[in-house]
This record gives sequence, structure tokens and C-alpha cells, in this order.
Amino acid sequence: MNSMTNYIVSMTAAVALLTGACHAADTPAAKPAATPAAKPAAASAPATAAPAQRWVQGPGSSLTFTFDQAGAASKGTFKQFSTELVYDEKSAASGSLNVKIQIASIDTQDQERNDMLATSDLFDTPKFPTAQYTASTFSKTAAGGLEAVGKLTLRGVTHDLRLPLKIVTTATGLELSGATAIKRLDYGVGQGDWKSTEGVADEVKVQYKVALVKAK
Amino acid sequence: MTFRNTNRTWGSLTKALHWIIVILIINQWWIAERAEGLKGMEKLQALSWHKSFGMTILMLAVIRLVWRWMNPVPDLTAETKPWERILAKVSHVLLYALIFAMPLTGWMMSSARNFPVSWFKLFQFPDLVAPADETFRRMNDLHHLLFSVLVVVALLHAAGALKHHFIDRNDVLKRMLPFGRVK
Repeated sequence: MNSMTNYIVSMTAAVALLTGACHAADTPAAKPAATPAAKPAAASAPATAAPAQRWVQGPGSSLTFTFDQAGAASKGTFKQFSTELVYDEKSAASGSLNVKIQIASIDTQDQERNDMLATSDLFDTPKFPTAQYTASTFSKTAAGGLEAVGKLTLRGVTHDLRLPLKIVTTATGLELSGATAIKRLDYGVGQGDWKSTEGVADEVKVQYKVALVKAK
Repeated sequence: MTFRNTNRTWGSLTKALHWIIVILIINQWWIAERAEGLKGMEKLQALSWHKSFGMTILMLAVIRLVWRWMNPVPDLTAETKPWERILAKVSHVLLYALIFAMPLTGWMMSSARNFPVSWFKLFQFPDLVAPADETFRRMNDLHHLLFSVLVVVALLHAAGALKHHFIDRNDVLKRMLPFGRVK
């Protein structure tokens, strides 16, 4: 591979010289969205102590991710995941969120890549079949939005992760949506060759849109 | 050596484009051959170089065609027989078509497998088609078939140039050589 890389690098240099092209050495990596320091949610306890409503995932939900592969952004999705939300508009801080993702349901629209993602160097799906996000409090962000304060466990590694939440009422219940970015190497998704960020960037953007219906 | 083409010879820009594309095509074949035997990250990287160079060829092909329209095209010599003119014309049209068709089918292969094309990690090209296995298989077959056609036509083209030089002893080859001087 080294000789291949050297060859290609010299080839690129030769072509760049020949054409007189002059490129910038690198593109600046997209910065992960800064998470504004969260202020504790304003204490606005509900007048009545009605238990907060529990919601579960309904049809029409999606969990997608965007990864940068050799300089090109590609999209993938997890087709199977389940969500549970406890949410009361009047006391949002007391909410909780639980998401369980079936890693084997990953789809990048290419079977060879899907199979490779399941191997031990990447998600190691046989050993770690699910990923879990658990948040037992929500807080208000400086910008006035809502975010879940929780932890993500992926490939057996757990890290704190705040998820921005946009919750709106729909005809069938609620819709929770938002986006975040995580670093795949923090969770060990990328061993061996894949530890390098040359081929696949460390940062992976995650987008979620979950339709929620009232739990029975 | 003039920058623009004249009625007698090719200008330096035309020559540069011609030979850079020749080198890039050989390089493309070399990378693709090696990528076949690679796996995982190494394959991903080799193919990303293949795509970057391929898109370079496509961009140069556009410049080349535009430049051809903006410039005189030196004619073949008066002694050239009609069948030679036809063969030359057909192979030139095919070669121009192929330097567009090869990158375009490769680009479609990438889109069809959801492996979008970036240009040396500097920017990303949009997808041409939606991801679908069937589209990928068709474009993959076409890309390989067109490469075989390219090899045949390019060899014919080179053979024609050598015939002009060594048998007919005219300037047709010399006027495309980087440092060729034409009387």
C-alpha cells in the first residue's frame, strides 16, 4: 500500500505541476456544532402533579447518519430502532428519553459496505448488537431550545451526549427531531486501518426524526 | 511553438491536454488494476484516487473540446487517402466520446453505490443517479466495455500516427509531439 500511496502522491504532484494547478493543501474539517452551555431549566413545576405522558415510537421514524468517506459525504440509516419518551410540555426538564438501536439494521445502500461495517474493526455487530441512548433529564439550551442530557453506549463504550430535541405536536402525537455529531473513534468504531481518518472522517453527523404515539 | 493551433500544427495547449490525458488514462488503468486486489480501507483510498483523476480527465475533456471549437484544426496531408481520412475521423470522434463516457459512467457507478465522488477531497460532486444495485451493475459493465473499446481505438490511433511518421513520412505525428517542430 505504501508504494501505491507514494506512486499516487507523486502522480498527483506530477499532474498538478503539468497542469499548473495549485490547490489548497487541505479542506478545513467541518467543526462539530458547539454545544452551548446548558442552563438549568427554569423551574416551572406544573400546578397539578399529573404524571408526565409516556410516548413510544410510531411508524415514519428515521435515524440517519452522514459520514465523510474519502472527502465525500455519504448517508446511511439504521432501519430498526425504538424510542421511548416521557415528556410534559409544562415541565420539560422532568422528561426522559430512551433509544435502542439495532446495529444490524444499518444500511448504507451498498451490501459490501454494510457487511464490512458489521466486522470487528468497525461496529463488531455480533458482539455489540445494540446501541443505547439514555437520558433522564432534559435541559434548556442557551438558545432557548431543549436538549436531552444523557449517555450514548455504542460498541460497548459509553460517553455523555447531549441531544438537541425539537418536539412538536402532530396529528398522531408528537414528532421529535434534531441532529448532532459524534466522533466515531471515541466509541472505538474504527480499529486497525479504520483508526485512520484518511479514508473515513472521525466526525459522523446524526439526524433523527421520530414519530411518537401515546403509550398504552 | 504557438499557444493556439494553426492550420499547420497543434498549439501548446492542445498538445499539453492531449498528453496529460494520455498519462492520466494509463494511470487510471494502473490504479483500477491494483484496486481490484485490495480490500477495505486500501480499496476505498485507491478508488478515491481513481475517481479524482477520472473527474480531472472529464474536466480536461471539456476544456479540450471547447478549445478545439475555438481553434483551427490542422488538416491531414494532401496525400492522405479518403479511407484514411474516414478512419481518422471515426477514431477521433470515438476518442473524444470516450474521454467523456468513461468518467461519466464511472461517476454514475459511484452514485449508484452511494459512494459519492470527491475531487482530491477538495470538493464533492453531486450524485448523478439514485443508489440502486441494478444501475450499478449496468454502469460497471459499461465502464469496463468502454475501456476495452478505448484500448482498441487508442491503439488504432497510435498505429495511424506511426504510419504517418514512418511510412508516409509526413508531419502528422510530429506536430502533436511536445517538442516536435514542424517546418
